[in-house]
Amino acid sequence: MNLVRVAALARKEWREIVRDRKLFGLAFVLPAMLMLVFAYGSGQSLEHVPLAVVDHDRTDTSRRFAERFGNTVYFDLAGYVDSEREAAARLARGDVRVVVVVPEEFERRLVAGRSAAIQTWIDGSFSNSTPPRTLQGYVEAITAAATAELQAGAVARRLGVSVERALTLLNPIRVEVRYLYNPQLRTVWSVGPSMLMFILMFVAPLLMALGVVREKESGSILNVHSSTVTRAEFLVGKLLPNVAIGCANTVLLWLLAVGWFGAPFHGSLLLFAAASLLYVIATPGIGLVISLLVDSQTTAMIISVVVATLVGSQYSGMYIPVESLSGPGWLIAHVFPAMYFNDLVQGVFLKGMGAAELWRELCALALFAAAFPGLAWLLFHKRRRA
Amino acid sequence: MGEAALVSGPPVVRAAGMWKRYRGRPAVRGVDLRVERGELHGLIGADGAGKSSLLEAIAGVLSFEGGVLEVLGVRIDSEASAERVKGRIGFMPQGLGLNLYPELSVEENVDFFARLRLVPAAALAARKERLLAMTRLAPFRRRPMKHLSGGMKQKLGLICTLVHEPELLVLDEPTTGVDPVSRRDFWAILSELLRSGGLTALISTAYLDEASRFHRVSLLHEGRCVASGDPTEVRRLVPGAAVSVEAEPQADAFAALKAAFPQVEALGGTLRVFVEAATPEEATARVRSALARTPPRRVAADEPDLEDAFVALLRREGARVEAGPPVAVGAPAAPGGGDAIEADGLTRDFGAFRAVDQVTFRVRPGEIFGLLGANGAGKTTVIKMLTGLLRPSAGRGRVAGVDMARSDRAVKRRIGYMSQAFSLYTDLTVAENVSLYAGIYGLGRAAARERADALLAMAGLARHRDARTASLPMGMRQRLALGCALVHRPEVVFLDEPTSGVDPLGRRRFWDILFELARRERVAVLVTTHSMTEAERCDRLALMFAGRIVSDAPPAVLKRDVERDAGRLLEVVADDPAGAVERLRRDGLGDPVLFGRRIHVLSPEPERDASRIRKSLAAAGIACRGIEPVPLSMEDVFIYRVRALEEREAWRAGGRS
Amino acid sequence: MTAGVVWGRQVLALTVKELRQLWRDRPLLLYVVYLFTVELVLVAGGTRELSHAPFLVRDADRSAASRELVHDLREPWFTLRGEVRDPGEALRALDHGEVRFFVDIPPTFSRDLGRGDTPATVQLVVDGSRVVSAWLAPSYAGRIADGLSRDQAARNLGRLGVDVAALPTIENRRRTWYNPNLDDAWGNALAELLSMMTVACVLLPAAAAVREKEHGTIEQLLVSPLTPLQVMLSKALSMVFVALLGTGIALHGILRAVYGLPAHGSLTLLLAVTALYAFTNAALGLVLSTFARNTTQVGLLILLTLMPVLQLSGTWSPFEAEPEPLRAVMSLSPLRHLVSVAYGILLRGVGMEVLWPHVAAIAALGTACFGAGLWRFRRQFG
Repeated sequence: MNLVRVAALARKEWREIVRDRKLFGLAFVLPAMLMLVFAYGSGQSLEHVPLAVVDHDRTDTSRRFAERFGNTVYFDLAGYVDSEREAAARLARGDVRVVVVVPEEFERRLVAGRSAAIQTWIDGSFSNSTPPRTLQGYVEAITAAATAELQAGAVARRLGVSVERALTLLNPIRVEVRYLYNPQLRTVWSVGPSMLMFILMFVAPLLMALGVVREKESGSILNVHSSTVTRAEFLVGKLLPNVAIGCANTVLLWLLAVGWFGAPFHGSLLLFAAASLLYVIATPGIGLVISLLVDSQTTAMIISVVVATLVGSQYSGMYIPVESLSGPGWLIAHVFPAMYFNDLVQGVFLKGMGAAELWRELCALALFAAAFPGLAWLLFHKRRRA
Repeated sequence: MGEAALVSGPPVVRAAGMWKRYRGRPAVRGVDLRVERGELHGLIGADGAGKSSLLEAIAGVLSFEGGVLEVLGVRIDSEASAERVKGRIGFMPQGLGLNLYPELSVEENVDFFARLRLVPAAALAARKERLLAMTRLAPFRRRPMKHLSGGMKQKLGLICTLVHEPELLVLDEPTTGVDPVSRRDFWAILSELLRSGGLTALISTAYLDEASRFHRVSLLHEGRCVASGDPTEVRRLVPGAAVSVEAEPQADAFAALKAAFPQVEALGGTLRVFVEAATPEEATARVRSALARTPPRRVAADEPDLEDAFVALLRREGARVEAGPPVAVGAPAAPGGGDAIEADGLTRDFGAFRAVDQVTFRVRPGEIFGLLGANGAGKTTVIKMLTGLLRPSAGRGRVAGVDMARSDRAVKRRIGYMSQAFSLYTDLTVAENVSLYAGIYGLGRAAARERADALLAMAGLARHRDARTASLPMGMRQRLALGCALVHRPEVVFLDEPTSGVDPLGRRRFWDILFELARRERVAVLVTTHSMTEAERCDRLALMFAGRIVSDAPPAVLKRDVERDAGRLLEVVADDPAGAVERLRRDGLGDPVLFGRRIHVLSPEPERDASRIRKSLAAAGIACRGIEPVPLSMEDVFIYRVRALEEREAWRAGGRS
Repeated sequence: MTAGVVWGRQVLALTVKELRQLWRDRPLLLYVVYLFTVELVLVAGGTRELSHAPFLVRDADRSAASRELVHDLREPWFTLRGEVRDPGEALRALDHGEVRFFVDIPPTFSRDLGRGDTPATVQLVVDGSRVVSAWLAPSYAGRIADGLSRDQAARNLGRLGVDVAALPTIENRRRTWYNPNLDDAWGNALAELLSMMTVACVLLPAAAAVREKEHGTIEQLLVSPLTPLQVMLSKALSMVFVALLGTGIALHGILRAVYGLPAHGSLTLLLAVTALYAFTNAALGLVLSTFARNTTQVGLLILLTLMPVLQLSGTWSPFEAEPEPLRAVMSLSPLRHLVSVAYGILLRGVGMEVLWPHVAAIAALGTACFGAGLWRFRRQFG
């Protein structure tokens, strides 16, 4: 490999990227914007769900019961409605997602030590953004807490013991939950690092593929074909500026994740740097492979985006755990670097792991950093057939 | 012939029985080609004749299936073997400046190519300066390539191809879309480089009038080499005579001649007929008898030129030369009186730059009006103002009697426009394009179909109506574009470099259509072109320079004016022509220009200059084989005028500073 | 022939041209087909449920009660990956992401459970980096433990003479409306259809417009008697056609045929709003195209615009949970309104009487985009 030629190619590439102001700006604005959007978008847990109450009882007990819902972060009490019919209409309009119907004689039955049945209606239509099972879980928990309080009072009175003791008697198993790595379960803490994986997977192959296909479209790639530049020199020269952009974006995204979203970074910075470098070589490598298979910018863009969304979000373990995948999904997850890098950043950011624990992921990334440019090398020919 | 002296050692390129197929469709079918060392070899042929495929195979960037190819002594049969010679080849692909990097400056482009080719820094500095000076690009070294004119892009491309001092230069249509002055510069640079030795050049061209500039030419047709040799030899392959006649009504005379002879073309007011295998006398007699019903005013027999020979050769190979049957394609006879186009002091500024300056001219219905000028002289801007695409900064343009600045929709229905680049939808078929434009101009279904049939027949595209436009050669595409511009029977047609990149046969057919349109339908045609053979076909020519019109007259008058100012054109045949040019220049004998192995000199006093030339060459020990006056070509006129203006401009600029 | 007829004929000719070009552009066509079919299937299967969450156990008690607890943590929600003796081992597995949580049962578990004096504590150590499972796993495990707990409480209290059945209880009768079987595929596939239609509606007209600029065909159109309005309108109309076709195929061929998605409301109304929506997005695409010189630029601009729209319009995350200022901004996203309309019509069976504010919003946004596009277009080529 002749370094003069590689340097000439890389410098030319860099100048072209930098001088196309719009493109250059987008290469940095796009990743940052994606980071903000995804952190605010998928970072939201299910909270402030609007809820309406139909209170047929209209007693202190029923009102206190209804207020329990409004007092959590999960629900916003959107008000009382008079009838089931009106409640159904509000549910249909989408004003509220949950309706709680408190029956008549609610207070009387409870005071008498009997059971009272409330109804909860859950809007199941937004099963993807507002999962009904989760809403049910919230309602169950609130109802169970109310019941426990009632029963504890009754038992305490009956046996003449303290309310705490009564609670223990009623609920002898206590589950203590300890959260590792992310004690407050902040979504951005975990989404932020994963976004590094996703955004680089999204942007790097796209920019790389477009860069090569533009040369194919204009015909300037013939300069490479007709000169003595070797295939490897060309690929390295093309890769280098994109690797540089990838590195800059990694730093930018790291700063956003840690500085803006406050994600903890417990692990080794050196390990993270090494892994990121391998990843920003492997991801444009994917773009190189794509660019050699297609001829137009539109096609290159479409394929890059489809591959990035599938690999980066569906099959990387970011949302869907890899162990729940089967067949082709499992295979896709394992033949792209996204899953390994995701595991690695999670480990480095939140778990404070080092090379001793993450060497397997690191090796996999090194393999991909060699494999994709290598595949491009095999696909690239300087004497075309047609 | 000086041929023997040039042949030394094995050929630089030798192809024997070469085949190349694209998805089974053959592009090159058994080509034989020999390029000798030190030769300037031309590759001529129609679009799709296989020129580009052949050149790319020789440059080692395209594989081929059959036959033998040796380049610089290496048998090319694999990617590895091609790599072995690439260091010694310079290749410039087709498309003006497309292989350059628009965002990079002139110098950065050169540096990039040099580093790619591992030119040592010291050698690069000297070589770069020499090439930049030679191409007069030195003052623009910091300008981004995207802001260069066509001619400058072409020269920059040449520098980038030459910077590693290759032994073999392979250039694919380097002069397409470039104005005549830049083209002449280009050829001058090339002959200078060839003279300094060690270089061989293989060049394809779409301009037949450039064929005479080569040492040897090969004529390609449908993937085979039809003829090969010295330009004079090739011309002699087809004996015959060229007859020029003037007759009225011209359109009828044209039709009569076309019925009798296969090669007829209209050059403004003159009709030119090539009569094969006839002496000048026989030819004149046969033309006269063909024109029994429209007796000619003037008949003159002439030597046929290279283009006549080429067209005849291609005809023998079965190529269709003629356009389809004439049909009513234009507007119903234009409303009586009044000019079709009136430009009155048209001016357009882009920021501080005045692109068009006080342009005034008139075009009558039925007239073919040519607008000539270098790249960037303002021709396209004039057309854009007259079609309503741009607003003039000052002045007025009236088309069909309506002011275009107001650009109302009614007048747009009366004009047709064909823009510089091919701008139809390449992913639609021929018929779909026509029906689209029929729809755009609001034609009903039945009317559209009728119109489409007529136009496709006219353009000779009836057989290709369901072909995807992208698959057609450039010539057919341009005829289709013309058809689409005529779909609504316009009274005025604007054509901006309509034949750039079209092969000679395609260009002839195109002009036949324009002629019919103007003469029979009284359509006013405004056309811009870089081809000087085409300029000769216009009724009137306006020459633009730096945004102004500097002369406006019929071609013959323009020639006469130059002859009056600068004298006759002498053609000198001598051994060592390149040495002769240098010698004549040093002795102050005008501005000699090399055409292949012949030298052209403008001379105010032909008799006296001829003897001075003989003396000068004799003193240098160069044998002079002959000197004779030849007719001035349109290209000579153009270059003479532009050069004179450039000098005046430079002098003025110098005077100011 | 009236001027109106000619005007319509011109728009029709251009619209047909757009559709023909899309038909010929095989990679693009394939992508559009993919968006409206395969993509929906790929996404429909996903679930936000807890599924096969792997865990480890340290059972120091080894009693019937502890075994019952472990036994109840089962498929399809949980997968037991084995028992460990040393908690360090479990922590390492958590570190490596091999398990989602670790259940630590102390040796005193069954004893405490039997006595009922002190609570029998079970510790759940959860990987907080996987937020979804970190939420769901303890909640599910807690509910399972509650069941065991109740049985034991009944026994313990019974011994003390308290009948658990006679204690006051709030029972919860649940009912899930509009999706009684809690079929995740309905919401997933529908959300994806709306998102992908948005992508297609913005991308196709923008790409087509930039291509006309790149190839210079736009000049040829401007010299003709066409108005910019007609040129833009034809691009938008062809997109409306494609969107209707795609939505029709996706709805009937996939959402209804494969996943049994109901249509409680008027499909005609849904298609009409889809048409309006396609027009609005096409106009947005055309505005973006006026800011770009080539395909690469317009592609990146589209990504920049659409990513927030797709992420924050309530398709994949609850709109209600967004902070108030963001919600205000996102009400400018046509997708946010289409989501309400499509879910409303298909699943909740409501009509214009309820949905009109959303339809009006889409129309207003469409008018604004189209107007802006026309203005930019005129300024660029006028």
